[in-house]
Amino acid sequence: MSGEIELIGTFTSEEECAAAIEGLHKAHVHDFNVFSPFMSEKINEAVDEVRQWGRSPVRKFVLAGGFTGAFTGLILTVGTSWEWNIIAGGRPIAAIAPYIVIIFELMILFGVLSAVSSFFITSRLPAFESAPGYRTRFGADKFGLVARVAESDVSKVEAMLRDAGAEEVARAAA
Amino acid sequence: MSAKQPASLGAAAVRPIHEPVRLNWGRLTSISFLLVALGVIGVVFGLASGHAQRVWSSWLVNWLYFTGIAEGGVVCSAAFYLTQARWAGTTQYRLAEAWWRFLPLAFVLFLGVFIGRNQLFPWIAHPNPKQAMWLNVPFFFARDYLALAIVTLVASWFISASSSREAEEWHSRPETIEMPPKAVRRLAPTIGILFAVVWTLFAFDLISSLSPRWHSTLFGWWYFAGVFWSNIVAMAFTAVLLRHRLPEGNVLDRGKVRHDLGKMIFAFSIFWMYLSFAQYIVIWYGDIPSETFFIIARCWHHPWMFLSWMAPFLMWVVPFFTFLGVKPKKTPIILGTVALLGLVGVWDLNYVLVVPSLSPNKLPLGWIELCVTAGFLGAFLLCATPGLKLLANVAAADATGGER
Repeated sequence: MSGEIELIGTFTSEEECAAAIEGLHKAHVHDFNVFSPFMSEKINEAVDEVRQWGRSPVRKFVLAGGFTGAFTGLILTVGTSWEWNIIAGGRPIAAIAPYIVIIFELMILFGVLSAVSSFFITSRLPAFESAPGYRTRFGADKFGLVARVAESDVSKVEAMLRDAGAEEVARAAA
Repeated sequence: MSAKQPASLGAAAVRPIHEPVRLNWGRLTSISFLLVALGVIGVVFGLASGHAQRVWSSWLVNWLYFTGIAEGGVVCSAAFYLTQARWAGTTQYRLAEAWWRFLPLAFVLFLGVFIGRNQLFPWIAHPNPKQAMWLNVPFFFARDYLALAIVTLVASWFISASSSREAEEWHSRPETIEMPPKAVRRLAPTIGILFAVVWTLFAFDLISSLSPRWHSTLFGWWYFAGVFWSNIVAMAFTAVLLRHRLPEGNVLDRGKVRHDLGKMIFAFSIFWMYLSFAQYIVIWYGDIPSETFFIIARCWHHPWMFLSWMAPFLMWVVPFFTFLGVKPKKTPIILGTVALLGLVGVWDLNYVLVVPSLSPNKLPLGWIELCVTAGFLGAFLLCATPGLKLLANVAAADATGGER
């Protein structure tokens, strides 16, 4: 977008990166990406505070997958029993007690597969191109914060990133 | 570390306490003595009115229940040491150890089981030659008393090691990766192994042998998993009750600590239910009358059906569905209610495991059972008071910071 500059801040610690995210929030800059070499609760909390994303939608897919798996297990066990009509040991043809094991296992299987697949879908993975501003060191030992800001605010935001602890702030055309 | 947090939770917890928390422990002591008196009256009048079996069966139920909570607490503290738990500083250790003093008294109270043996154990009046080698009075009480003595001695040794200077120093450095003191390291796994062995023995001797024809290999394991859980709900209930009475910001008043207690209730409730199903499915598959009658008499026959289904409802259905989310675990009233219902559930479980074997067609639940239970509760509270005082001081010692 014309009139916007990309500021790429490099941080050595997650606390500094989280502080910079909070600084962006205060400066009303909400168009940014964060890169971290590992999952950081502190960065997640800071991002969540700014973006108010709430809970991950993955859990809804897990619930739906679990229910689907349980229902599949029920249909599979009861259906095949009714189809073959074999009476074993004087018990009912469709005896629920042992089927709980199959129902439970399929519930877990479908729930897990839903979790993994929905994670990829909602995270838009796999990503074949690097996100703008990404540096390889952000996947090694540094934290990266890439913010897109209006030209008029660049100096102010750059100073804020440095105050938060950025060891380097680079500029690029957005 | 943020400025609001203390340098160390553990350091705060073992910091010399200049002003101990002033709570009205006198009222608790008075109530406890009243309950004990009620228990004594119940036992005396019960025996005098010719209800010896009701008195002693109720005695056994309560002995199993309260001894289980006390021993479960020691095991829980040992488990905390083994996992180097730091989630509530020193508080969770003192919370689990609060009622260990009931164990020496349980040793004395076990005498009631010996006195009431003729009313409790059918194999005394009708011995089975095939089982006589294991089920005979001298060997039975000798091994159970020996097991109880070992458990009590090792528990007191462990508690002494857990309160030692070295242990306090270890607690004061939560950031260290050092192992707990050597004595604690040696005793903690011993406590765990002893718990599994001794409570399996108690399950077979004091519950299974009431129906000597019944067999279930998993019964011991399933039973001690429930005993362990009973202490966890007791811990959560105590934490919720004490939080209001301690200075603001005390460790027990932290949402994070309640969340952790809720997670423990949730996890071990699932484990208990898993073992329940594992035991049930084997009996269901085998369909052997000598195995199924124990469950049928309780779960499908009047008057035991309601109480028998109530136990898994209170011990699994309620905690599982209530504690699926984070918020209910952190909400004191919900955590306290679920914990209290869990405590009722475990008592009910002990009741339906013991009493139907002695009274299959009649539900003996009246003033005798109420009085005996009250007596045991009073004795338990009296024994727990010193531990609760220590817990209150430790939990209140850090009233200024910490993660909420």
